[in-house]
This record gives sequence, structure tokens and C-alpha cells, in this order.
Amino acid sequence: MGHRIGVDIGGTFTDFVLYDEDSGVCALHKRLTTPDDPARAVIEGVHALAAQRGIDIADLDAIVHGTTLVTNGLIERRGARAGMLVTAGFRDVADIGTERRYDLFDLRLRFPAPLVPRRLRVEVDERIRHDGSVAKPLDEAGVRRAVEHLVKKGRIEALAIGFLNSYANPAHEARARQIALEVDPGLHVCTSAEVSPFMREYERWTTTMANAYAQPLVDRYLSRLEAGLSALGFRGEFFVMTSSGGTVGTGTARRFPVRLLESGPAGGVLMSAEYGRMLKLPDLLSFDMGGTTAKGSVVRAHEPLRCYELEVAREHDFKKGSGLPMRIPALELIEIGAGGGSIAEVDGRGLLRVGPRSASADPGPVCYGRGGELPTLTDANLLLGYLNADFFLGGAMRLDRSRAEVAMRRRVAEPLGLELVRAAWGVHEIVNEDVARAFRVHGSERGFDYRGCSMVAFGGSGPLHAMRIARKLRIPRVVFPAGAGVMSAFGLLASPLSFEAVRSGRVFIDELAPAELETRFRALEAEAASHLKGPPQRLSRRLDMRYFGQGHEVEVELPPDLSPREAVAALPALFVEAYGRAYAMSLLDSKVEIVNWKLQASGPIPEMGRRFTLDVPPGRSASKGRRMAWFDGEPMDCEVYDRYALAPGAELSGPALIEERESTCVIGPGDRVTVDARHNLIATAAAAAGGTPGRT
Amino acid sequence: MSKFDAVSLAILWDRVVSIANEMVSSLVRTSFSSNVREAYDLSCVLFDAEGNSLAQGSYSVPTFTGTAAPTLRHMLAKFPPATLEPGDVVVTNDPWMGTGHLFDINVMRPVFREERIVGYTLSISHLPDIGGAGFSATTPELYGEGLRLPVQKLVRAGRVNEDLLELIRFNVRAEEQVVGDLMANVTCTQVGGRKLVEFMDEYGLEELAPLSGAIRSHTERAMRTELAKFPQGRWTNHLDIEGVDGPVTLACELRIGDHGAHVDFEGTGPALRAAINVPWCYTRALSVYALKCLTIPELPNNEGAVLPVEVRAPEGCILNALPPRPTGGRHTVGHFIVPLIFGALAEAVPERVQADVGMMGTLSLSGRHPDGRSFAGLYFLAGGFGALHGLDGAATVPAPSNMSSISSEVWEEMTGMTIVSKRLRPDSGGAGHWRGGLGQEVVLRNDTGGLVTLSCFGQRTQFAPRGFLGGGDGALREILINGKRVHPKGSYVLQPGDCVTSREAGGGGFGEPRARAPEALRRDLEEGFVSRRAARRDYGMDK
Repeated sequence: MGHRIGVDIGGTFTDFVLYDEDSGVCALHKRLTTPDDPARAVIEGVHALAAQRGIDIADLDAIVHGTTLVTNGLIERRGARAGMLVTAGFRDVADIGTERRYDLFDLRLRFPAPLVPRRLRVEVDERIRHDGSVAKPLDEAGVRRAVEHLVKKGRIEALAIGFLNSYANPAHEARARQIALEVDPGLHVCTSAEVSPFMREYERWTTTMANAYAQPLVDRYLSRLEAGLSALGFRGEFFVMTSSGGTVGTGTARRFPVRLLESGPAGGVLMSAEYGRMLKLPDLLSFDMGGTTAKGSVVRAHEPLRCYELEVAREHDFKKGSGLPMRIPALELIEIGAGGGSIAEVDGRGLLRVGPRSASADPGPVCYGRGGELPTLTDANLLLGYLNADFFLGGAMRLDRSRAEVAMRRRVAEPLGLELVRAAWGVHEIVNEDVARAFRVHGSERGFDYRGCSMVAFGGSGPLHAMRIARKLRIPRVVFPAGAGVMSAFGLLASPLSFEAVRSGRVFIDELAPAELETRFRALEAEAASHLKGPPQRLSRRLDMRYFGQGHEVEVELPPDLSPREAVAALPALFVEAYGRAYAMSLLDSKVEIVNWKLQASGPIPEMGRRFTLDVPPGRSASKGRRMAWFDGEPMDCEVYDRYALAPGAELSGPALIEERESTCVIGPGDRVTVDARHNLIATAAAAAGGTPGRT
Repeated sequence: MSKFDAVSLAILWDRVVSIANEMVSSLVRTSFSSNVREAYDLSCVLFDAEGNSLAQGSYSVPTFTGTAAPTLRHMLAKFPPATLEPGDVVVTNDPWMGTGHLFDINVMRPVFREERIVGYTLSISHLPDIGGAGFSATTPELYGEGLRLPVQKLVRAGRVNEDLLELIRFNVRAEEQVVGDLMANVTCTQVGGRKLVEFMDEYGLEELAPLSGAIRSHTERAMRTELAKFPQGRWTNHLDIEGVDGPVTLACELRIGDHGAHVDFEGTGPALRAAINVPWCYTRALSVYALKCLTIPELPNNEGAVLPVEVRAPEGCILNALPPRPTGGRHTVGHFIVPLIFGALAEAVPERVQADVGMMGTLSLSGRHPDGRSFAGLYFLAGGFGALHGLDGAATVPAPSNMSSISSEVWEEMTGMTIVSKRLRPDSGGAGHWRGGLGQEVVLRNDTGGLVTLSCFGQRTQFAPRGFLGGGDGALREILINGKRVHPKGSYVLQPGDCVTSREAGGGGFGEPRARAPEALRRDLEEGFVSRRAARRDYGMDK
């Protein structure tokens, strides 16, 4: 047994967790992100943390890394010069897009430019039909000419290959890839059938372009990291987190960099699920709220819900449909444009709105005193007494209450005819409603009844809002996990090595032979396992199924340990169950077909989650005095606590404010809190009641 | 005035919009036809007990906006609220009561809380088929267009009216899809109703009327405030557009004054014996839509946006056609109401209007997949978006309706046809300081081995999308079969191997082309959106 380190790069900070597998003790470290070369902070931090704990870097077993590199690369357009080969007649699919307006009334629509510009997309003669048969063979000489042209004239570093209907038969793409590598062995080449083997060319090709676009970027970054770490003497294994909550080796990361999108937030969700396992809470909502956005996700029966649709680089605030669709296996995240920096203003209706405009970190909220003039959520939380002006970021920054007050009065209270406290409360409460609404819509789309489940709240702003949101959703219990400030880095250490392989293949279930089912899954298993180190510990076989003729599929997971014959026999019932969960709809007298075959192979789940303890300095006093805070328009005298000085087993009741360095847990009147052995705060909401949205 | 302050109204309002959105998502996810699941040809609306609308789903087709409240009133006239029971579902597809053509089914459910009706939910979706001649612009009378369902109960106290369902089944093609979609609407009205009751419980609301009143009055006030920023006066515009045997004239006069906006379509040509006539409900909806885009685009849709706008169209003109005029393709004419109004206001509010859009082409295709199943579906193609002051028009964006296209792979799999190519049309966007968006060219081949029936609904084949304030016009739309141009509103039978080519119109440009930034023109040339020849001709490029 030895030591492992999780490293998560965020916008402002790079977080580190070092886990000692023998003692179960975790040590935390935080340092500023180095945007010009993110690898630098990683290397320096690993060095610093190891030195601080007196560990020889050569004794580290593994480093697990989560990074926003790919997400930011797409947003900031810092990727490679990439080219694309497409089926003759379809060069313009990327420009034509979804042919759909994301807003019906706003005439000023903006769509993201394709990642591969039109002049670097070249058509190739070939054609595969929807059933996988070949209508026109691949023009190999044409492929060669096109690649030579793109390399010489276009000076491309990476090449995406996207042919029509390749999800049904990838042979032409695979052959074109071979030829491209013959022309230029140094080229990064990827095909749409391996990156995102789903039907619908626009989404599949956009994902493939993003993959090609990010390949050189990720390759160079990982090389720098590997070189830097090995110069420190690191000889352990290096893993990278993916959007699906599993980790991969650097080889897989280099081949499928698009799978690294949103890997940091995925770490946070995974850690929420891990807390659920520790605390025996199978169903929960993970709620992470930071400076500019909030992220939510659903964990059902200890498993985070997955999806295959992400959208990145939105052009228009947070409007769905204004970004680039990515079809990859991912933990499903709801993104809400609400965070501490969200600006409160009067909207076109003459009512109060908060976000999605954000004051970000610079100039930030008015109370930071860095020139911000627009009142934000953080300003409201200060005025309501939730934040401690003298203990923000552990006292590293003093908050200016009077500035916040002036701004809130001028920009919100006076124009809307509200009293100051009502305005601040309104800002706080509207964000609560926005988040609750997003969870509600998401839950109903997924057939997930969140009432009665639990919430895990973290991020700088999450603990300020969680109790109130939970009450709106009729969620009785909120967990404020220990180490909430570095949740994603924790999650990295709790995630197994994992890869999901996918193939399209349409079969009616009443025509499916057990042998065919077995053959298809065996092939996927071999592919997925090749991305692991050692034999898989867990195999999850999943099918996308639908009523014949219907546009949306539901995912069915096959129970493990079924024989092929039993599995085939179980399919109709499994489908009906999954369908019923997703839709409030009577059953149809229609044939059922399988559309996609998926297999996720995972290595062993690291045991750390269940037995780690935080390194907490003893002997501080838990009480930090009292402070006035506002709840539902009423001022209340609240006890203020120092979170990590609260002894395990302690119990307290709201109204109370529990402060830690990165955040404050706001505990409302009637809510109760207990501290568990690992310093987690487990809060129970006062008898859940929606009530009116304040005064009506 | 209102019992809600700026905080509580914001919260409650956003919440009812969200319930309407949940209805839309339920409808999309349970429906069978591509019109709904891929193209979102639908709308979901919530009403209070008095029949006033609270919210419409954000992804609903905007042209259904003003229509839902009158539809509900027609339904309640036949089945007064006192006679309705829990579990009742009322339907109609009457063009004059609904949304202008038989294809749109309107499905309404009273929402009961305990014993009392507290509101209504209504959903509308474009059915894959409604019998008769099919989706065609050439049918001479309404009677040939398909089944016209008067206001009827489809479900009585929770029991499906099997007689009505059987009648529908007997009259339509692709009956499974039609009935599946009908039931998806029934389900989504139920989802909406349940959520509405939960919402009232949660916030302790006894009735919805005060809330809907506040929503309406805020919307109305916001729209009037914006209209007050327009210069007051009268503006006129007229457009010649393609009819069936010759051009049709659309004319309008806009008066902007203290009362709000008044739109009068006096001078518009008469209704025709072809299925492109527009019932008044649709004319009004598009007029309101156009003015909402120019004033309060960011506000959620509800009847408050209807109140400041008065619409008049002479009876019997093509924008106020009466039964039994056929209306199947009413959008091919009705969609021009938006550019007609924008054009009228171009001089008055240049920074708000948009140059003409290329609009959509619609191909209605039916036949049999080589694997034996029959198909009937709409293939939508977007033209270019019109340019605005300060912004180029995007390529291939549908307007004013928002029918998104179907993926080529999905279409091939659904029909067995082959999409030979789908490309942008360079130079199709009108030149301008800000350039119009490009249209596209799509070639489809009948590889089904059997016959495929095609009906076209193409506009902009004689009269181009106009540029505004010196901007150039967008390219015209063309439809060809085997390389030969055909009538853009005709019906045809495609033999095996026949190819249809649809070239979509570009958007109009905005402002003088010579004012275009050299950098923007250079990028257009590099990407091939504008050819060198056109750059010399339209933009005066030197070499």
C-alpha cells in the first residue's frame, strides 16, 4: 500500500488531495491555477504536497488528474488546425447545423463557428447505406489526394474523418484512416465511428471534429506533465478523469480527448455518490455551486445518471442549442447560470432576475471592493448576514458591506419598489427557485422522483443555498461533506479505471438469438477491456432500446450473471420497466428494437472513499459568537460555528451559520444538524413546506 | 395593482413557464412522428379557470401563440365548464377554431383540484396525416383535405372514446403514428395538469386568475413601453408573393400610436381555390409574433403580447379566408406576414428589424420503405436568415416557424430514400454591410424501389427575399425533378431513381454592401460563402 494524489484544475485554483492508503488520512492542498501552462501548477503542487507530508515522490503509486483543458480549449478556440474528410455531398453539414433556432423571438441569433473551417473540409467519394451495405466503394486515391492537400496546403496537425452512415458500417472510415497515416504518419487521425458511434451525422461529426481539434493540445499537455513528473522522480501510474466518471490511461486520453470534457465536475458528482455509499443514501442530488455556475446531477441507487449529450461553448449565455453538441458517455450535469457572481437586475418584465450575467472573479461582486458596481448573489448573501465580512476565504479577503448595500439599493430595491432586505432576500430566493426548478424539470425528464431523497451540497456557494432548495424539493436531508472545498479532487481518487465501448446495431428483440447477443457483447468487451490495465472487475452491459418508429431511446441495463438465453428472455420486461420510468405513458402495441449496444468495463473501485479521515487540527473552540441573519424576511439572532472545530457527534439546530474557509452552511430555523465521525454535517430540513415565495 | 411584488411574481411566473416546458418535453418524448420529435411542430399552453393563458412552452411554435385562447373558448362553448368531468379530454382540428389547417390537432384537458376546475392545459401538434389528399397546396376545397373534427371529447371521464378513435384510424395513413401522437398529446395535457395542481398546492394558491392577470398586465405594459419608443405614424408595405396561378398581393398598413399597434391588411388579394389560404386566427398570430420580436423578444409568450396589437383583415381576402376554402398550406402565404410587417417598419426602426428571411422549403413525401413499412413525412429545409443591423444572417436557419431539419441518416433510415447531397449555396445570401445567410441545396433520390408521392410547398421562387436599406436580395428558391424545374407548389409522383433537387433561398442583406468590413469579406471569400465574381460585382472588390 502507498500513496495516491488527485489533482483537479479549476478556473481559479488547482486542488490536490493526497491519500495515504495505510492510515486512511487525507491531506489537502490548494494553489493558484497557472493558466498560461496549467501543467506547472500541477507539477509544483505535487512536489509541494509530497514535501509537506514527507513522502518521496518515487513512492507515489498513482496520480489521478481532472482537467478543464479540453473544455477551455473549445471555448477559447485554442485547439489545433484540424482538417476533415467527409462523404461527397456533405461537406457543409457542420455549417448547416441543426437548422433550428434556439430562441424563437430573439432575431439576433449567433451560432458557434465549426471547429474545422469549411476550407479544410474535403469531400471523398464513397457511400454506405443506412443498413451498412456499400453503395459506392471508397475512392482510395481520392482520400490520398485529399490528405496530401490538407497536410501540404492546409498545414493541418489533426484530421477528423466523418462518413455518412458510418455508425452502421465503419469500414470506409477505418480504411481512410489507414491511408491518411500512410500519407503522414505524424498526423493525429480520428474517425467518427470510433469517437461517437451514434446515428445523426451533425452531432457525430461535430464530436469528431472536437476530438481532432483537441488531440494535439492534449498530447502536448500530457507530454509536458509526464516529463515534469518524471523529472521529479515520479514512477507511478498516471490516470486522467473522463466525463463519464471513470479514469483512463494517457494513451486512451490521447486518442479520445473529447471524453475529457467536464471531467472536473464529474469528479464532484462521483464523490457525492461515494458519500451516498458511506452514509447509505442510495438516491441523492449532487449540488455544486461556485462563482459563475451551479451544477446539479442525479444519483440513483448509488449510480450517477449518465447521458450521451453534452453541449459546450454556448454562444448565447446559457441557452441550450447555441453551443456545440457532443455525443460521448458522460455523467449527466444540469448547468444553471447561477453562482456567487451572478448579477441581480431588473428584467424586461420589470421584475427581478439573477444571472446568467456574471461579474465573474474580476471585478467580482460589489463587496469585493475591486470595482464591481453591479449587485450580485454574493452581495445579497452578505446583506442577509449569511456571509461573514471578516471571514471570507478564511479572512483572506474583507467584504465591504456598505458598498454592497448601496448597489443593491440603487440597482434593485429602488427600481422595483422593494425594501433593501426584501430585495436581498429576493435575490437569494430567486436563485433557490432557479436551482429547484432546474432539478424539478430534470427529474421529470428522467422519471426521477427526488422527493424523499438526499442532497450533497458543496462548492463556494452551494452550502449557502442548499437547505432552502432542499425544502422546496421536499428533500428531507442535506449532507455538507467534509472537504467540500476539494470535492472534485477527492472524486478523482474514488473513480475506477473505466471505458465504455459503443456500437450501433438495430435488431428487433423478438428476432434476436442468444448467440448474437453474446457475440456482440463479447466484441465490445474486448474493445473496452483493451483500455484497462488488467482484467475488468465489473462489466455493465447496456442497450438503447425503443419502440419501432419512435425517435428517442431508453437505456436498459442487463442484470449481471444472466445467461444469453435468460438475457434475451428478460429484454421485453426490462424495456417496459425502463420505459415506464422515463415516460408517464401507456404501453404501445408496437415492436421493440435495440438501437445501440454499450459495454462499460471498469477496473477495481479504489477503497479510499469509505475509510478516509481528514487531517483536522484539534483544540479549537466551536463557537464563534452570534450574528444577525435574515430568514423569510425576519431578522434572527444566529449562533455562528467554526465547522472543523465541531466535534463528531455534536448536534445543533437552526437558525445557525457554520463557517469554513471556502463557504458557509446556512441552517434555517427549525433545521437540525449532526456532525458525523468524519466531520460531515448531516442536516435535516424543518418540516418541508413550500409556503408562499415570501410575501405575496 | 397586483398582489405580487417583483420577487414573488418573477418566481411564480418562471415556474408556470417551466410547467409548460415540461409538457413540451413529455409530448416530444412520447410522440411517434418526426414532425413532433424532430421538428417540434407543436405548442403547449396553460390557462387559468377563466380561459386566460398563463404560459406557453418556450419551444412551442410561436405562430401558435395567439391561437390557443380562442381555441379554448370554442371548446368551452360546446362543452361548458359546468359539464366537464375529471378525465375529460376535448379535441378539434378545425382550421378556424384551431391553428389554420386540419393537420394540427388541438387537445385540451380541464384541470381539476378536488371538485373544481382551476385551469386548462392545451397541446397542439402537427399530425403526420389527416386523410384526404394529404399535405398538398393544390387541393381546391377544404373537403378534399382530410378529416375535419368538430369539437369532440376524445376521452370521457378517463375512458377513451373508441368510436372517435376508430373513425380517425379509418381515415388516415400511417394510423399508428397518428394515434400514437394523439395519445402523446393526451398524456402531456395530463402531465401539465398534475404539475399545475402541485404548483398551486405548493404556493398555497386558491386560484390562478390573479397570477395570470399579473403576468398579462406585465407583458402588456412591457410591450407598450417598447412600442412607445417607436416613432408614431403610419407605414405601409406590400409584397407580391407566389400564388398558384399567378402572384398574390399582400398589403398592410401599420399605425403606431398611443393605443399601441394597429395592423390592417386592406388591399390584400382574394382567397383562392388552392390550399394556401390563411384563416384569420393564423394571420393574427403572425402579426402579434412579428411585433413581439421587435419589442419584447425576451419575455415569455402569453396573451399580454396580443393586447397592444389590433389586427384587421377584410373578410374573404387570402389573409382572412372563410370555409370551405382549403388551408392546408396556409403557412406558405401566412409566413409572409412577418417580413411584410418588418418591411413596413424598416425606416421607422432600422435597428430592430430583420431583412427578409429565405424561409423554409417543405417537401411532403410518402411511399414505402424497401423493408415494407409505409412512410409519410415532412422534409423541412431551411433557407438563409436575414441580416440585421450589426449582424450577418446565419446560414440555413428556419423562420418564422422553427421546423428543424431531419438528419440525413435518420431520413434515409426512415424512408429508404437516398440523400445524394446537402450543401450550402454560395452567393445565395443577399450582399450587404451585413450579409444575408446562405441557403442550401439538397438532392434526394427515390431508391425505395416503388413510387414516392411528393408535394412541394416552396415560396420565394419568383420573388426574392429582399434586402433592407440598400442590402441586396437573397437568391431565389428552386425545385427540380431530374434536373428540370417544376412548379414549387405542385404534387408529383417520383419513379424509382428520380431525383428531386431543392435549392433554398438565401436571406436578404442589410445596408450598403460597399460598407462591409474588408475583413468580413475576406473571410467570406476564404470560406467560399461569397465567390470572387460576386465580390467584385456586389461589393466592388478591386481584384
